[in-house]
Amino acid sequence: MDAAVRLTDVTKTYGAHRAVDALSFTVPRGSIFGFIGPNGSGKTTTLRLILHILYPDSGGIEVLGRAGRRAANDRVGYLPEERGLYRKMTVRRVLAYYAGLKGMGARDARREAAAWLERLGLAAWADRKVEALSKGMQQKVQFIATVLARPELVILDEPFSGLDPVNLEVLREVILELKRQGITVVFSSHDMSKAEELSDTICMIYRGRKVLDGTLEQIQDRYGMDTVRVRAGGGAGALEGIPGVQKVRDLGQVQEVRYGGDPQELLKALVARTRVERFEVARPSLHDIFIRIAGPAAAEEGDGGA
Amino acid sequence: MRKVWRVARTEYLNLVRSKAFLIGVFLMPVLMGGAIALQALVGDKVDLRDRRVAVLDRTGTLLATLEEAARFRNEHGIRKDGVQAAPRFVVEDAADADVASLSDRVRGGDLFAYVVIDEGVIAGDEGAEISYHTQTPTFRDLPEWIRIVLNGRIRQERFRAAGLDEALVERLGRPAPLRQYGLAKVTSTGEVKKEKVDEFAVFGVPAIAMFLLFALVMMAAPALLNNVLEEKIQRIAEVLVASVSPFELFLGKLLGTVFVSWTLSLLYIGGGLFVAGHYGVLDRVPFPLLGWFLLFQLMALLIFGSIFSAIGAACSELRDAQSMMTPAMLIVMFPIFVWFIVLRSPDSPFAVGASLFPPATPFLMLLRIAIPPGPAAWEIVVAVAATALFTVFCVWAAAKIFRIGILMQGQPPSLRKLLRWVRAASE
Repeated sequence: MDAAVRLTDVTKTYGAHRAVDALSFTVPRGSIFGFIGPNGSGKTTTLRLILHILYPDSGGIEVLGRAGRRAANDRVGYLPEERGLYRKMTVRRVLAYYAGLKGMGARDARREAAAWLERLGLAAWADRKVEALSKGMQQKVQFIATVLARPELVILDEPFSGLDPVNLEVLREVILELKRQGITVVFSSHDMSKAEELSDTICMIYRGRKVLDGTLEQIQDRYGMDTVRVRAGGGAGALEGIPGVQKVRDLGQVQEVRYGGDPQELLKALVARTRVERFEVARPSLHDIFIRIAGPAAAEEGDGGA
Repeated sequence: MRKVWRVARTEYLNLVRSKAFLIGVFLMPVLMGGAIALQALVGDKVDLRDRRVAVLDRTGTLLATLEEAARFRNEHGIRKDGVQAAPRFVVEDAADADVASLSDRVRGGDLFAYVVIDEGVIAGDEGAEISYHTQTPTFRDLPEWIRIVLNGRIRQERFRAAGLDEALVERLGRPAPLRQYGLAKVTSTGEVKKEKVDEFAVFGVPAIAMFLLFALVMMAAPALLNNVLEEKIQRIAEVLVASVSPFELFLGKLLGTVFVSWTLSLLYIGGGLFVAGHYGVLDRVPFPLLGWFLLFQLMALLIFGSIFSAIGAACSELRDAQSMMTPAMLIVMFPIFVWFIVLRSPDSPFAVGASLFPPATPFLMLLRIAIPPGPAAWEIVVAVAATALFTVFCVWAAAKIFRIGILMQGQPPSLRKLLRWVRAASE
């Protein structure tokens, strides 16, 4: 398999803290790769390692076929989690500068920037200073800066956080469009449902260690068909005491049940107890799988820089 | 190198295009000219209120002399171009008063000062003195005037008592004048010429050269601190180092700063030459000094630009940066503290040492080169070599700090940690 990024046993420590621990994974070329895990699990550190902003203590990192440091950086676009634009520069100049740093010619960059600004509805703002733009517009400019120099690999750190629904949809479309053009997209997210929608391949890390990777189907196959979504009179209470029920995740109107045996038995037991409005044998969600692997405590883990 | 160039170009254009730069370019000469003009203006603003002094004269003769001298001075000695330029001195007889009540009157503002003249001052008795009492000892004109007037009279009295002709003594005591010249030069005709000391070349040129260098470095280098700090705070640094290596970024910034400062040189020195040409004094411009100026400017910018960028990269908040600025500013200000010592005695061991060992070398060596006849050739060679080495060291050390600091957030590192960053194995 032709790999856009290949990590082999990569470890990075900060003092006593092991941010990334013997991490290995492969990003297939031309795919959308979701890199997921709760906040503070080492996602940003890993992305910075891929960009050679940081250097690993041990292990190998190969990007676009080059193992050398920074050798491939001109072909990689990066959207950091915290957006960074010069507030006093005009949109056009910032974009020209960032593209120039990737080695793009000035005229080429101008043309490409104009096209992107047009496409994302910012053409009228091209000669305004960045500080005059709204936060949403600045995020779009930052995104244009990421893809302007026609990278072969795009790395997006938490691209969906802080976006309103309209911009979220715009970003999704653009990411899919990049994929159609054959560009590899790696994005990190702590929001598993986003990853589920978009990714071809997923890698899940927790406390610096990989807990899971593969395509969504592979992962779900591995974790079986033991999840049942139920809507029944009495809500979660109706499920209490039925043998074989291992876990109930109460979503309000619907309960997600992990059931050890044949789902037909569960249905029978339920019908005997109450009125069943909905009964669906489903694959477990990524979130569910994550909880199963990392334990319930992991879901609560939040804060602390990723 | 292409990326370094790209960073330098953008940094340069960002700075030069900013309003602050344009204002600064015009403000520097305006402020300097303004300071001189203000001094000239305020210098004329003399407090013209009368200075009333009570005299307790125990000799019985000197009071009249003082009264007469005051009258003469108030009529003829205090006007300049038809306007009063100095306060009147009013002398009052205080024969019956005691010092306690006189002191009270000074406190009350009725008197400016009082003077007690001991009886034995004319004869020159041991311990006899003229005592001057005031609340305002910083006003020196009045006591000086009293001293001169009374001593003139006392001398006259002593000569008369000794039976000497005062005019004769005056003539015999006249000092021979001492005037300063440069070294003798023999012209082609064999004639030996005396050269007057050119005050402008000896004092003016060195002072102008050093202070201009200082101003140009200070107008450009400290901006790097804010610049780097802003990139850190706005998280721009992370975007940049994903495209260029921290060292390329750092070098580009330094070069951008050098170009900014050189642009200022071009404006000010070019402007100066234009003015000199206009007044026909181009022959007094020391052109070889310009070459040294540009060389030392480059090294000073690299040294101080490195220091300020490293501080910016090490800090995450303006407040932290400001406290780290203080020691850096002391180093920067050092030549300003000592320049006059060097000017007065350019080949003293202190001047030689300070101009050979960095970090003040760029300023002080330039100053010494500008003072005729200039330092020995070996001193210049050593200074340039030492400064060049120090420059390389500063850039190297700052690059290390920059590389680690630029992505750090939170607490600024301690000095020990900074040193560890510098010592850390290079990438």
